[in-house]
Amino acid sequence: MSVNARTMSDDELFYGHKACPGCGGALVVRQALKVLGKDAVAALPAGCMSATGFNFPQLAFANNAMITPFAATASVLSGIEAGLRAQGIKPDGCTVVGFAGDGGTADIGLQALSGAIDRNDDVLYFCYDNEAYMNTGIQRSSETPFGASTTTTPAGPSHPGCVTGKKDLFAMVAAQGIPYAATASIGYPNDLLKKVEKARDIRGTRFIHVMAPCPVGWGFPSSDTIALGKGIVDCGLWYLAEYEDGRFTLNRDPGRFASVADHLRSQSRYRALTDADIVTIEAHRDQVWQRLRQRCSCESS
Amino acid sequence: MLEVIWHARGGQGAFTAARVLGAAASADPDTFALAFPTFGPERRGAPMRAYTKIAARPIGDRSASRRAAIVVYLDDTLFADGWEDELAEGGVVLLNSKVAHPDARVVTVDGSGLAADILGRAIPNTVFLGAIAALCDAVTLENVEEGIRATMPAKLHERNIAVVRAAYDLVAGRARADALPCCSEAAPIEGASGEKEREASSVVSAEPPARIIPQLQELTVAPERFARSTCFQGGHLVSKNAGWRSLRPLVDQQACTGCFNCYLLCPDGTIYKQPGAGSSSTVAIDYDFCKGCGICAKACPAHCIAMVEEGGGRDEALHIRQ
Repeated sequence: MSVNARTMSDDELFYGHKACPGCGGALVVRQALKVLGKDAVAALPAGCMSATGFNFPQLAFANNAMITPFAATASVLSGIEAGLRAQGIKPDGCTVVGFAGDGGTADIGLQALSGAIDRNDDVLYFCYDNEAYMNTGIQRSSETPFGASTTTTPAGPSHPGCVTGKKDLFAMVAAQGIPYAATASIGYPNDLLKKVEKARDIRGTRFIHVMAPCPVGWGFPSSDTIALGKGIVDCGLWYLAEYEDGRFTLNRDPGRFASVADHLRSQSRYRALTDADIVTIEAHRDQVWQRLRQRCSCESS
Repeated sequence: MLEVIWHARGGQGAFTAARVLGAAASADPDTFALAFPTFGPERRGAPMRAYTKIAARPIGDRSASRRAAIVVYLDDTLFADGWEDELAEGGVVLLNSKVAHPDARVVTVDGSGLAADILGRAIPNTVFLGAIAALCDAVTLENVEEGIRATMPAKLHERNIAVVRAAYDLVAGRARADALPCCSEAAPIEGASGEKEREASSVVSAEPPARIIPQLQELTVAPERFARSTCFQGGHLVSKNAGWRSLRPLVDQQACTGCFNCYLLCPDGTIYKQPGAGSSSTVAIDYDFCKGCGICAKACPAHCIAMVEEGGGRDEALHIRQ
C-alpha cells in the first residue's frame, strides 16, 4: 500500500522541535519517519535538525535518535546497524537512518558516506539540502548554487555571490554502485514518500538527496517553502531521479521549464543577480539536463 | 560512587588495571563502572593517570576524578607532596614500594617484586587489583578473577590470577580489619534510589498510547536524575512553541474537504485528523506547537484555512477568507 496523506501513520515521531517556522528540513525528517516508523533508529550530525531536535531536556524525537560527530553520520549508522545485529536486538522492520544537511554530507561527511557505500552497510542516508550551512548562519557549502549570496560568499553590485555550482552527490553515490539512490524535493511530497518507502524495503546502503528550502537562508516567506520546493523542480534547477540496479530513471521531465528568473527573483539570496547571470544559470541548467536525459531513461513527462 | 585514581608511567598497565577493576565490579548486573585513561602525546615511561568509577547506577560524570577513595601509585617516584589533596576522607593510598610509609593512610606493597617473582616481569598493575579486593567491598577476589578472564588475553590469565591472589593474601593479612567506609556505605544507598527510578519509568511506559506523539511534560528533569546517564527519554517536551507565532491558522470546519494536504505538509506535524460530520474527516491544529508558518493556509485547495493575527477572533478569520 502506498503511503500518502490518507494512509500514513498518525504517529508524530519528530514533534515539538525548535526549527524555524516553515522549515523544509524538518518536513523531510517528519515525513521520512512517518514512513519508517517508531522502530527506526536515527543518527544526526551537527546541523539544524540536531540543534533543533535535541534541546535537552526537550527531546523532539520519539524514536531512538542520537547526535554524531559532524563527519561521522554514515560511520555511526554503520556502527548502530552492526551493534543492533550483533546484540540480536534489531527489531523487525527497523531502519537505521541518518539525516544530515548538505554541508554534513557533501563536504564534511563525504568520506564516511563513501565508506558505508563501499561496505554496502544496511543503512538509509538522507541528505536534506538547504544549500548552505544554515545552522551556523548561512555559510556556503559545496551544495550552494551559483549566484546565491551567503555570509561567506556575499553578493554585491560587482559580484554574484557564490561562483561555484552544486556538487553532484547523486552521480557520486551512483558511481560507487549503491543499491538505491534518489533525488527528491519536499515540493513533490508524494514522490518523496514513494522513494522513502522503496528505500525502506531495499537492503544495503540507500541514499536520498532531498531539496529542502530554507526560508531564512534563501530569503522567502515561511509560508512559501513548499512552493519553492516545487518551483525549483519546475524550472529545472533541481530534478527528481532514481538510480536502482545500475539504471538511472528520471521521474519527472518537464518538457518546458518554468521561468528560472521568476523562481530566483522570489528569493532574496539572489537579489544581486543580473539578467546576464540568469542567462548563465539557464545555460548551465540546460547542460545539466542534457547529461541527465542521456543518463536516464525517461519514466514520464 | 567509588572512585579510584591510578598514577603510573606509560607501559606499567594502569589503564589495563583500571579496566579490569571496572569489569570486575560490573560483573554484578546492578553495578556500573567506567574506566578511562588520561595522557598526552607522550609514550612509554611518561607519567599518566587512569580512573575507575564504580556505582550502583549508570555514571553520567565522565570527567577525571579530583578526589578518590583509593589512589594507587604504580611507581613510587610519582608519589609526591600534595598526595593528600587527592584522597577522599577515609580513603587509602596504595603505593608500589619496598619501604613502609609512616602515614597510616598509605599502604605500601612491593608490587614490582611480587610481579617479578610470579609473572617473571616487574609489571605491578594486577598486584593492586588483589590489594583493592582485600581492602574494599566494591569487588571480591572472585570478581577480579572474572574481570581478568573477561578482559585479558587467555595466556595471561593463570599467572595474573596467581598475582592477584598473592597480593590479596598479603594485604588482607596486615591491613585494617574494616573495609573502606566509603565503599560499604555508598553502594546500598545508591542502589535503593536507582530501584525507585526504574519503577517510576516502568509506570510511565506501562500503557503506550495508540498514537505515538511526544507529550508536554509537567516537570523538567531534575539534575540528580539526568546526571546519571547519557541516555534520555525520547519525545520529552517541556516547552511549547506557541510563543513564536504572530499569525494563527484557523480552519473552517464546514469548508474542510478532508484532503489532508495541510496535514501532509506541516513541518511541525501540528495538524491532526479528527472525525467530522458523518463519515468524513477534518483537521484540527495543536496550537501549543504550531509556529504559524502559514504553509497549511497556502496548501489548502479549498482555501478554508485563514491566517489571523494572534488575539483576533474567529469572525475575523471568516472575514479574511471572504
